[in-house]
Amino acid sequence: MRFMFLTALAATPALAEPVVPAFTDETATAGLATSFEGDWDYMVGGGVATFDCSGDGKPEVFLSGGAAPSALFLNQSPVGGALAFQKTDAISLDAVAGAYPLDIDSDGVMDLVVLRVGENKVLRGLGACRFEEANEAWGFDGGDGWSTAFAAIWERGAAWPTLAVGNYVDRTEEAFPWGSCTDNWLHRPEGGRFAAPLPLTPSFCALSMLFTDWNNSGTPSLRVSNDREYYKGGQEQMWHLDPGAAPRLYTDKDDGWKRLRIWGMGIAAADITRDGYQDYFLTSMADNKFQILKDPAGGKPDFADLAFKTGITAHRPYTGGDTNPSTGWHPQFADVNNDGRLDLFIAKGNVAKMPDFAALDPNNLLLQTEDGTFVEAGDRAGVASMGIGRGAQVVDLNLDGLLDIVVVNRWTPAEVWRQSGAPGGTWLQVRLQQDGANRDAIGAVIEIRRGETVERHEIASGGGHVSGSVGWRHFGLGTSDSAELRVIWPDGQAGDWQTLPAASFQILRPGAAAEAWTPG
Amino acid sequence: MKLDRRQILALPMLAFARPAWAADRAVLERDTVTTWYKLILELVRHTATYTPPVASRAFGYIGVAAHEALATGNKGLMSLAGQLNGLTPVPARTEGAHDEACVLHAVINATTQGLFANTGPTGQRALVAIEKRLGMAASDGIAQDVVDRSVAHGQAVAAHILAWAATDGGAVIDNMGFPREYTPGTNPQDWVPTSLVRQQQAPLLPGWGEVRPFAMPTGTSCSIPAPPAYSEDPTSAFYAAGLEVHDTVKNLTDEQRLIARFWSDDPMLSPTPPGHWISIALQIADRDALPADRITEVLAKVGIAMADGFIACWAAKFEFNLLRPITYIKRVIDPKWEPLLNTPPFPEYPSGHSTQSAAAAEVLTGFFGETFAFDDATGEPEGLPVRSFTSFAQAAEEAGISRLYGGIHYRFGVEEGLTQGRCVGAFAANLKTRV
Repeated sequence: MRFMFLTALAATPALAEPVVPAFTDETATAGLATSFEGDWDYMVGGGVATFDCSGDGKPEVFLSGGAAPSALFLNQSPVGGALAFQKTDAISLDAVAGAYPLDIDSDGVMDLVVLRVGENKVLRGLGACRFEEANEAWGFDGGDGWSTAFAAIWERGAAWPTLAVGNYVDRTEEAFPWGSCTDNWLHRPEGGRFAAPLPLTPSFCALSMLFTDWNNSGTPSLRVSNDREYYKGGQEQMWHLDPGAAPRLYTDKDDGWKRLRIWGMGIAAADITRDGYQDYFLTSMADNKFQILKDPAGGKPDFADLAFKTGITAHRPYTGGDTNPSTGWHPQFADVNNDGRLDLFIAKGNVAKMPDFAALDPNNLLLQTEDGTFVEAGDRAGVASMGIGRGAQVVDLNLDGLLDIVVVNRWTPAEVWRQSGAPGGTWLQVRLQQDGANRDAIGAVIEIRRGETVERHEIASGGGHVSGSVGWRHFGLGTSDSAELRVIWPDGQAGDWQTLPAASFQILRPGAAAEAWTPG
Repeated sequence: MKLDRRQILALPMLAFARPAWAADRAVLERDTVTTWYKLILELVRHTATYTPPVASRAFGYIGVAAHEALATGNKGLMSLAGQLNGLTPVPARTEGAHDEACVLHAVINATTQGLFANTGPTGQRALVAIEKRLGMAASDGIAQDVVDRSVAHGQAVAAHILAWAATDGGAVIDNMGFPREYTPGTNPQDWVPTSLVRQQQAPLLPGWGEVRPFAMPTGTSCSIPAPPAYSEDPTSAFYAAGLEVHDTVKNLTDEQRLIARFWSDDPMLSPTPPGHWISIALQIADRDALPADRITEVLAKVGIAMADGFIACWAAKFEFNLLRPITYIKRVIDPKWEPLLNTPPFPEYPSGHSTQSAAAAEVLTGFFGETFAFDDATGEPEGLPVRSFTSFAQAAEEAGISRLYGGIHYRFGVEEGLTQGRCVGAFAANLKTRV
């Protein structure tokens, strides 16, 4: 399949353009009013977390505020209707860079990991969108860093998650901050709480982390995308995380890891090539990277960069008149037009006052075509904002089967777009649930048949740019009226293949039939 | 004037023989220069437009500015006005006492602020921090009127130098130096893009050979002969050169691999090749406690030599527009071959690192002699070892051959680059900086 994908890129003439989804900008009316504020020590960050804490199945939205207070917004959108949120005082914290939802204590109530410029917080969900700080109760050492990346996994057999936190520069270094990257931390469980964090040395100013099973070994590794602006002697990283063993860095000598040095800002993973292995999109400044494993059978983490060939370098603005190089932040693969092919959204925005990079830097919405290349449609879809974007989520906010988009902007209010056009295809949304530890099955894999091929989706907590989501997993189905899929649960057990109807929400549990769910 | 090693080692003793206050001021003056330059090396790395040619230009202007500011108050120093293309005399000092540390701080600060106005928020924050720190240190204990007069003079000299710099044709860098449109040549020997980076589908700074040189009369004053004729015939000289790169990379020793990495000096990941030689000069200045006027003299002439080196080299690169080894080798010898280093996005011939290293070495040899041994720890923060050299020429030759080891240059590109660099460096070395 991999060979076929690469060959197709070289040989296939341009095919019909994909359906361009239509979005309506509902920023002014939706009630999301938070801006990401602050000066130098908030030039990165600006995350958004989406998760259901009210129990109605619709994702709430938590927005970081930087130097301004963060806020949780209750989702009151009618199904398929205009987006509507109500601001709460539930999580009003200062110095918040980003957040990820995670049911840490596996009580079925969503918790939240909040990354800050200062002490990080784990917030225990109490139900009804109420939270309390649980650092002390859970033994979580929040430290005092500039935390800018996060990923979580339940290591094999563990009842409590392992959290990886990425940290940026030593913010007290004014004259010579370069080379002052502070240690990333690995918070492993110890009983029903966290042990003291292990430093992931060397650390190179991480702006994104992701646990991912890049070689389908059954044991995820930790990918770390680092900002070369601040490290010395650094590069992109990946860590072995074998159960019970100390984390161990992939190296060129021992593992065939290839050095790559970029302004790493965000990681998105998906099986774009449908070969059963994850492909990785890494945001940066100017050209972005799209990594495909060169030789899965060879077992080495050696990736080819196909960004150029597939048309997703996204290296400079495509509209707005500013043609200086772009600055990419949150990347996310999702099928925004429901045509059965994954597309790519990238939140864009100047770091701040960098005149050699685009000041007017529109977000990208890159639609995948039949031959595996992508075409830009951000302007035609109506999401080419010139706001100074940072974190984002592409998620169905009103449960109509069409993905919506929320983006956090630096210094201006977060923006939200509701997908409002005619669907480009059918869809299916599933949610994984299991008893015991790891209720949301972080680390599971959903395999979905796409014709003769199988597309593999990892259920992850992490990646992007300090932004994450737990909830419905959306699949576009094109013209199909059903989808055939199965789940490989975090313990490695593969569920049966099952056929599920299009235009439905399904809750999947190990060893059980799918349970249809209806919103509203 | 040439300082030999014995004289240099005696300088700290001379400083101790002076009154304590004067010795303290001498240390302060040196620290002012070297600390600013250490920040400038970081700014070069972290400012997006600062590719090697652009960096060399900045080193030229900052060095000249510092030297000229001191020369207005030191009868032993000679101005470069009238010696450098287009440089007119800088403003004279006003009546009254001046403090050299304050003058140095002000002139380097203002020149750096001008040349790095486009650095990012972290660079701007660092500039403010260093301006404050060094400004306070320089002015501590100095009468306010002296401080004010000294700062005003430094700023006036900086303004003069920046106005001169603005007219050289290299002041405006668009799209990080890459043309927005470019059509590659169609001859088999023509350079073609070698990377998968979209921005690098056009060559870096194709017009840089037309930038006004500092000391060299014109960009083509040190022209070089044409490279061997392109051929795919296995018996040809060109094929042999390509095969040598192929075989060398395939059979690298650990030492050769280290040498390639040591001199890699990648833009935006290091202080660049000219920054590497500035770093060498700063290490010598620290080690041998050189006085500030000697440091600025050295930095000015090294900066001039490297800036002229890049102009001469770029003029030749775009005259011959020769394809890189990776293109030739994949086309003719081995489609699966890969170089050790990333191939830079511009034509091969000659090697820029070779030209500018030889130019820098020519100047440094003029100052310190042909057998001046030194250690180079430039790469230590990146995890690279310290390397020791018996002469500047040896270091330049190693920098040159490192490009063959890295698989990005043919041997003839290295050798002609070194030859060109020695020619360019002679113009800078012959500048009169002392009476």
